[in-house]
Amino acid sequence: MAITDTLIPAVDISDKQTVPVTLNGKNILICKANGEFYAVDNQCTHQRAELTGGRIRNCYLACPLHGVRFDLRTGQPLGELTRVPLKTYDVSLADNGNLQLELD
Amino acid sequence: MSELIKVKQQGEARCEGLSYQDLLDNETIEVPAYLREDTNPYMGDEDLSVDRWISRDFHELEKQKLWPKVWQMTCREEDIPEVGDHHVYEIVDQSIIVTRTGENEIKAFINSCLHRGRILRDCDGHAEEFVCPFHGATWDINGNFKGIPCKWDFSHLDQKDMSLPQVKVDTWGGFVFINFDQNCQSLEDYLNPLPEHFSRFPLHDYYKGAHVQRVVQCNWKVGAEAFMESFHTLETHSEILTFTGDANSQYDTFGDHVSRSVTPMGVASPHMPEVTEEETMRDILELSGRMATDNAEGHAMPEGLTARSYIAETNREMFSELIGEPLDQATQSELEDAILYMLFPNTQVWIGYNGNIVYRFLPNGDDHNSCIFETMILMRYPKGTQKPEPAEKNILRPDQAFSEAPEIGGLGPVFDQDDSNMAAVQKGMIASRKGAVSLASYQESRIRHLHQTIDKYLNA
Repeated sequence: MAITDTLIPAVDISDKQTVPVTLNGKNILICKANGEFYAVDNQCTHQRAELTGGRIRNCYLACPLHGVRFDLRTGQPLGELTRVPLKTYDVSLADNGNLQLELD
Repeated sequence: MSELIKVKQQGEARCEGLSYQDLLDNETIEVPAYLREDTNPYMGDEDLSVDRWISRDFHELEKQKLWPKVWQMTCREEDIPEVGDHHVYEIVDQSIIVTRTGENEIKAFINSCLHRGRILRDCDGHAEEFVCPFHGATWDINGNFKGIPCKWDFSHLDQKDMSLPQVKVDTWGGFVFINFDQNCQSLEDYLNPLPEHFSRFPLHDYYKGAHVQRVVQCNWKVGAEAFMESFHTLETHSEILTFTGDANSQYDTFGDHVSRSVTPMGVASPHMPEVTEEETMRDILELSGRMATDNAEGHAMPEGLTARSYIAETNREMFSELIGEPLDQATQSELEDAILYMLFPNTQVWIGYNGNIVYRFLPNGDDHNSCIFETMILMRYPKGTQKPEPAEKNILRPDQAFSEAPEIGGLGPVFDQDDSNMAAVQKGMIASRKGAVSLASYQESRIRHLHQTIDKYLNA
């Protein structure tokens, strides 16, 4: 397991915002919902669209292309378009106020 | 006293206990006219054939002549707060995208791609535009056609109207309604007199504090009817009799689309004359799930006060505090009684200053032997504060009990008792050799009213 400490400051993300970051060649989306931070693969499991800018409501992120909603806590999709969950990553706050991720 | 006409039922047989109107006479606050309505025209006592609930033919008739003609509640406005938010409303085999297209504008589109017919949206959510997931035909959220890939292959569509077909939309009380019939009466006329009766309860400004849904193995009307009479309290919910005036409930019908039941609370059932005021007070707090507090600890009955008054005043105080404004004009009845309206065909809403329960019974897709039972609880919030976000819908699995949904509190165990009848009624009607049900003249008159209005649509 690798912990990064190179991410953006937590204060730079507002609620319901999505911020894409690239880590080890992976496109990962940082999201803030109800004051909590989440990180998921930035690729919809339905038709591989980027999820950046997808609307967040409660703990759900909607794909901008066809609207699949994913539970940011678990990555589980709602509805019929896909049954494949999004990969999620644990996010924590580093001492310097930056967000850090746990990558496999 | 209201000026509105009152029609007594033929026979006029009523429970010998105190009537609801008698209880209103004890109010110290001016009783609003809508509570003084006592309207129950005699509608007959004929048996109703079980075909109405169990036959495929009846379901097909409803599919052709009922659902395409009625105003039906789809969702709350707060479920689609931002432009582009949409709710996918499904009724039998029809699918509609109810979409917010402006701050004060909602449109409803037939959920079917004009290219190959795929549904455009699979579930609720948010869209900047509607892109069909199959080939990519695209509409803006106002339903205007924006194009399709390989346009060179579709020049034959250039002269066609490619706008998404719409159905009628209107709102009341924060609910969004649709009607498939372009020539339907206005929602305002259809709802009459509901808006007037709810004028003391600004439901549009309540927020959805809970929303729970589960499939029940019965026809949608069996489900709805489980909440249209208090007669079943005696056998089904006997634990609430110490504080529920079941047999002295009042039943009213208003035109074709609205009916109500008023079940006095904070009084013991006429079936239980021995209950003390202390027991009534304790049990209503612990068991009803609808009072300002659900804990009787620390509550003692003051000398000379009735449980009905004590509970109403407790509710007045706690609800006033909760919403940040005095409820000086609220009657005790409005503060505690079960005043439940039905809006034809399948939506039911409670009166009240906080925790207004809403029921909806939808056919489960095209299956006439099961339905989707939903309950919402509409809540108030302190005046001057931001309206809380509506609760996400909690979809229970068919094998789960309603008491597994903590957000509906004391209602869960009550629904479980109702649930123990609903599927069993469907099963028993299928097995019936009598082939018909018999209804109580008065206490089950709202069920007869429901069916008489259904017949008006089916025979139109």
